[in-house]
Amino acid sequence: MYSGRRVGYLIAAAVIALLPLIFQDSYWRTNLTVCAITVMLAIGLDFILGYAGQLNLGHCAFYGIGAYASTLLITRLGVPFWIAFACAIALAGAAGMALAMFAVRLRGHYLAIASLAFAVIVHQVLLNWISLTQGPLGIYGIRPPPPIALPGLPVISFANAGNMFYLVAGFALLFYFLLDQILRSPIGEALTAIREDEVSAASFGINCAGWKVFAFGIGSAVAGAAGAFYASLVGTLVPDAFIITESFTILAMVIVGGMATLLGPVCGAILLTVLPELLRGFGDLRLVLYGAALTLVVLFMPGGMAQAARLIRPRLPGVRAKLLHDRAA
Amino acid sequence: MRKTSLCIAVAAIFGLSVATSCAYAQDKLIKIGGLFPMSGPGSYFGVQDKQGIELALAEMNKTGVNGYKLEIQYEDSACSPLPATQAGKRLLDQYKPQIVLGEECSDATLAIMPLMDEAKVPFLNAGSSSIKVTDPGNPWTFRIMPNEVMQGVDIATNAYKRLNARSAVLLYENTNAGIGNAKVFGDTFKSLGGQVLADIGFGRDVNDFTAIATRIAGLGKVDVIPTYTLEGQGLRITQALAQAGVTKGGGGGAIQLGTIWLPFGFEQKAGKAALGYVRIVQFDPTDKRELVQNFIRSFKAKYNQEPTHLNAHAYDQILLIADVVRRGGKDPQSIRDTLAATKDFHGVTGSVEFDKHNQNIRMDTIHYMETLPDLSWQALAWN
Amino acid sequence: MLAVAVQQAINGVVFGSLYVLVALGLTLIYGVLVQINFAHADIVTIGAFAAYFFTYTLGGNYVASIGVALLIGAALGWLINASIFAPLRERGSELLPLIATIGVSVLLQNAMLLWFGPIPYSFDSPYSNQVIRLPGGTFITLQNLIIIAVSTVTIALLYGFMRFTFMGKALRAVAQDRETAGLMGINPNAVIMLTFVIASALAGMGGAMLGPILVLTPFAGTSVIVKAFAIVIIGGFGNVEGTVIAGLLVGLIESYTTQFINPGLTDIVVFTLLLAVLALRPTGLIAEKREENV
Repeated sequence: MYSGRRVGYLIAAAVIALLPLIFQDSYWRTNLTVCAITVMLAIGLDFILGYAGQLNLGHCAFYGIGAYASTLLITRLGVPFWIAFACAIALAGAAGMALAMFAVRLRGHYLAIASLAFAVIVHQVLLNWISLTQGPLGIYGIRPPPPIALPGLPVISFANAGNMFYLVAGFALLFYFLLDQILRSPIGEALTAIREDEVSAASFGINCAGWKVFAFGIGSAVAGAAGAFYASLVGTLVPDAFIITESFTILAMVIVGGMATLLGPVCGAILLTVLPELLRGFGDLRLVLYGAALTLVVLFMPGGMAQAARLIRPRLPGVRAKLLHDRAA
Repeated sequence: MRKTSLCIAVAAIFGLSVATSCAYAQDKLIKIGGLFPMSGPGSYFGVQDKQGIELALAEMNKTGVNGYKLEIQYEDSACSPLPATQAGKRLLDQYKPQIVLGEECSDATLAIMPLMDEAKVPFLNAGSSSIKVTDPGNPWTFRIMPNEVMQGVDIATNAYKRLNARSAVLLYENTNAGIGNAKVFGDTFKSLGGQVLADIGFGRDVNDFTAIATRIAGLGKVDVIPTYTLEGQGLRITQALAQAGVTKGGGGGAIQLGTIWLPFGFEQKAGKAALGYVRIVQFDPTDKRELVQNFIRSFKAKYNQEPTHLNAHAYDQILLIADVVRRGGKDPQSIRDTLAATKDFHGVTGSVEFDKHNQNIRMDTIHYMETLPDLSWQALAWN
Repeated sequence: MLAVAVQQAINGVVFGSLYVLVALGLTLIYGVLVQINFAHADIVTIGAFAAYFFTYTLGGNYVASIGVALLIGAALGWLINASIFAPLRERGSELLPLIATIGVSVLLQNAMLLWFGPIPYSFDSPYSNQVIRLPGGTFITLQNLIIIAVSTVTIALLYGFMRFTFMGKALRAVAQDRETAGLMGINPNAVIMLTFVIASALAGMGGAMLGPILVLTPFAGTSVIVKAFAIVIIGGFGNVEGTVIAGLLVGLIESYTTQFINPGLTDIVVFTLLLAVLALRPTGLIAEKREENV
């Protein structure tokens, strides 16, 4: 691996390690954990939208499937947390692939509407199938992941907000790493080719349908993981946490961050999660700002924050600028 | 020379500020946290809670309570679990209140409860009807409004016995409150010998109720229609039922019962479609008690509108806290204990006495009103 | 039993006509522009609020308020096209305009929430409570009758416009092949702008007529728009006749699902139908042959 990238990962790990030490209260620690969850959602959607070029408006459905699958397995069948977690990922991924296989011939707007319809159906099923999901009555008292006892060390309890953050952020970093590796492999090139021009890609022998299904599967699986963490973090699960507006919010994060990169959506997710907390006093105004941000970014800087970063970089003085510029070339 | 006078000046200012802060420290403060929905569709409720609270605070702080002033800080819980837990943590970590009020939506309330339990801060609720808020028995959570079981059993029994109803159609919004309330009514009614002809739940985004009204019209003779919904949809339902000729307001025989809540002024909007509607309200504006009439007067003077039950509940919560402080509560633990021991508090919505689950069991918080032909309310002396 | 079935059919047609008004705008825009305007729903809501304030605050006539809403809708359409679709058209991106309109929709909804508040407005027209008793124990309100009448007239006018006037034919030409239309001396940008304005005017007018029926909050349009999308797809993007038939079909499905199953399940039924159509006949049930850009 490029030594530059390795340094990048080390810096990220260090930042994750330090954050709970800077923010000692449970309010901010929970915020950071929510950030980590939204980062997972954003990179998952980015994989589907930014790299495979599929406008998936139904991302919230996989988030919800992951949350409910893991919670129901734990509360109804007594399945241990980590197995339920793995099942949630698998189920969400499978659902994503099912949607993709269904929609594989559909392009652009049709796929968008189909994914929207799928999300509405999932939400309505969660809401109406009360005997399974409790519907609007909700599921309460969901426990955090079980404590881990390593030999010789004190027991790590996830009821502690700091430990929970380490866990979720760690997974977020892991997923980022995995997605990054996939994108740097020939698979990534295939996806980019499909995004740019599907017909030409097909003429090169790329199995477009297959790779689209793959992209959906991976992106949705990550969303499923995020859902499982969400349930054990908040402790309360209601179907209304997974309405269509959630999809739009995640979409905003990906676009504002910059959808042609993997790092962009991470920044977009962090920004659009932390900003509402900082703007708490502003109530509904912050959603107005969300909408405005999304529109303006699309109109004037469709590459999002990543594009902005690229514009600023060459202006750095001296040798450093030259180095960065060469690497970017 | 100048340096000396500068030093004296600084010392004087320092001394003065120390003295002033000592003076401030004399003003004892009870810090109240307010977790209410301030954004999104639930801000409907938050706005009204704030009105009631501000009115009560102004009154209490005119003379102070036992030497204490009451102060409140609001955080936006947005009627939903995750924002509610975030708001709750922020409130507890940064403001450190001695008691917290909230929320309106059952989901949010249930999400906040464990936080309060862990922080050992008493949590006073007046808006959520779900039985789960008090049933499991949480020592730190209190509720002054009657829960869904209290209301449901009472109104179903009254429907059977006083209205001689034998057939009912349950009509409710697909939320915690709607489903919970409807279920209690249905179970009680059936256990008395009544028949539930249909069980119809609808989503919060349904606008047109003509299809539902038509379906009910096709069921034959219906005596009562317990309706559990909020104002916006409630209005459309009442109009549709009248149009379909189902309810008294439309020339039919059925009586609408309910509800989650409808404000005073609903009749003016619904018109004669609302004729004969019998509802439980948690605030009776025709109550002759001086406390209630004074409240209505001051509310109208301050806000130029009629108070709703949300305003009244919020007002009562502050009055109850003041009562607790007068009886000696001053920190979270003593406030909790004094609250639990409340036996005879009188607020504008009724009286308060907590059972061992910290649920207020006084039935005079359940007021029955019927809509008369001239669209005014008549209190029914059923409680 | 028959009376109930007939009544539900009437209910279905009424609501179907409303959906059609909203969906027509969407399908027109898609037909000409191959773009989806997500903010269409909010134009409907704004139309409803405009009519409300005109009637209640300014004391105007209800029928006139429909005209006011139409004009406001048209103005918004002009604005959205000029500021979003026109600039993005140059860049040739297929999906960016859709995303931009999502942003506009979120912005408009929450701006309305800030401005009008979340408390539902009770909007009653002089006709919404006047009931006309029909034979067999069925009924219809005067408001609903007006809705059916206005929808029918509008559809007829639109159809006539598209088929018999020059502008209408120009619109269809641009929809079929923008470049060639341009070569024939038609100004595609002007035609596109006109389409937007007409579509949004329809939305605004729909809002004004829906106002007395809906629970009027800033989110009122959203409850209608997702169904409108379903209708547009089921009927075939860009296909006016298809939209009308699909709209009535969805309206009838809703009222019969409410009658025989459960009102809470109408969304599932309608959207499952949508997915079925996408799976089996993506170009819609009543499709014109349309070449997708391959």
